[in-house]
Amino acid sequence: MSLPAMRVVRPRTVEDAVRVLAAHGPEAMILAGGTDVVPNLQMRLFAPRVLLDIKGIGSLRGVVRQPDETIRVGALTTLTQLLATESLRLRYPVISSAVRSIAGPLQRNMGTLGGNLCLETRCRWYNQSDFWRKSLGGCLKKEGTICHVAPGGDRCWAVWSGDCAPALLTLDAEIEIAGPNGNRRLALSSFYRNDGINRIALGGDELLAAVVLPPRTAGWRGVYHKLRIRNSIDYPLAGVAVVMNVDEQGVCRDARVALGAVNPAPVLVKQAADWLIGKKYSPELVERLVHAAIQTGKPLTTSASSPVYRREMLRVFTRRALEEMWGMRPRTPNGND
Amino acid sequence: MHRELIQLDINGERRELAVPPQKVLLDVLREDLGLTGSKRGCDDSSCGACAVLADGVPILACVAIASCYQETRIITVEGLAVAGEPTPIQTAYGEAGGSQCGFCTPGFMIAIHALLQHNPNPSDEEIRETLSSNLCRCTGYMQIYESVRLAMRRMEARSAQPAAVR
Repeated sequence: MSLPAMRVVRPRTVEDAVRVLAAHGPEAMILAGGTDVVPNLQMRLFAPRVLLDIKGIGSLRGVVRQPDETIRVGALTTLTQLLATESLRLRYPVISSAVRSIAGPLQRNMGTLGGNLCLETRCRWYNQSDFWRKSLGGCLKKEGTICHVAPGGDRCWAVWSGDCAPALLTLDAEIEIAGPNGNRRLALSSFYRNDGINRIALGGDELLAAVVLPPRTAGWRGVYHKLRIRNSIDYPLAGVAVVMNVDEQGVCRDARVALGAVNPAPVLVKQAADWLIGKKYSPELVERLVHAAIQTGKPLTTSASSPVYRREMLRVFTRRALEEMWGMRPRTPNGND
Repeated sequence: MHRELIQLDINGERRELAVPPQKVLLDVLREDLGLTGSKRGCDDSSCGACAVLADGVPILACVAIASCYQETRIITVEGLAVAGEPTPIQTAYGEAGGSQCGFCTPGFMIAIHALLQHNPNPSDEEIRETLSSNLCRCTGYMQIYESVRLAMRRMEARSAQPAAVR
């Protein structure tokens, strides 16, 4: 399918990129790996006048340990490069677990960390061809006025479908955003708006430059569990990331639980740290957390899979992951279940 | 339609051509350069039939915008054979029946070539994982895996021979 006519601009520096964004406003669109943006362009979900290819900006690449012991991962780091980076694999196992479950190896060779964190939200009523959508009269997110998922409402429920975000939320990651006035730092948890249309807190003249990982969560155990139709290529239908710092006595020193692919944003299960810190494994405690997880996740009919099944799998994954963290069951080698 | 002059490095040759700036690499290869080995399967990055090497890394040409790959060395399935000599996987594919209808073959060739360059002795699990972005709708996966193993055996036998015989 051919793409709509547009200009393609290839800046070499962040400053130039930001200038182009500022000049063209919503008519400009950022392109990195292209695995999400290009199929969406083919489906005419976006109609930018200018495509801003940032792949030539060297300062957005590389994984560097900074003087304050944080690790800065450039937004253009491909998902394959993330997996190959020893320091990340050893210190933040939840990242590798999540990244291994993204699409397949060819897509991971192209797809970038920044792209995965800025993914377009997905819905069965939205990710369709131009003809299909127009036949239906569009939806709230595009070309229409009705949400077919929740027809009475005025909110878009298109789902957050990235796997990196829940994993990075559990690590208290921050992001670096470049804009016309330089860089700003933001907690990743403040980046997501839980709105299927206006999904991320990124200004029209800004771009995501890097992810910053704190030393505090380094070395914590972690795992990501993911539901999808096939164990390759497909987007998630539900995802659960869990990290835990466990001492030799099996006491939880700190923990986080985050969900993806069930809400318009990736979300932390707020109770996790409060309820788990200072506790040893017990089936009752796990079930309490499992209950909190399914209260947090709100799957709706945004995909071909039923909300009931996806909700049930949140329960299974949260239980399984917590048991793994406490050493009650063998670690899952990768995010596929 | 608006066209721009772009330069691509395809199979070791510098090619200059005028194309719409948003045209995807797969279309440029097939329509402008006559390299129809790379196939259009899904056209939305989910089947692997269009895979090409970009600086040695397999990527999906159907979602790569050609004008963004002007500083990258692209190798298509047509460029895998060196001086007309088929690669071990190309020979093994024919012998082990890796190719049925053949449509997915170029994409698999690219993915397998990159795998064996990087790791001449992958485990069965590594082979399956590496090829999990490539779909074969004839479902001939077992023969494809067998072709990889046959190519591995050939490569090992060849590297074990004394240099003079090689």
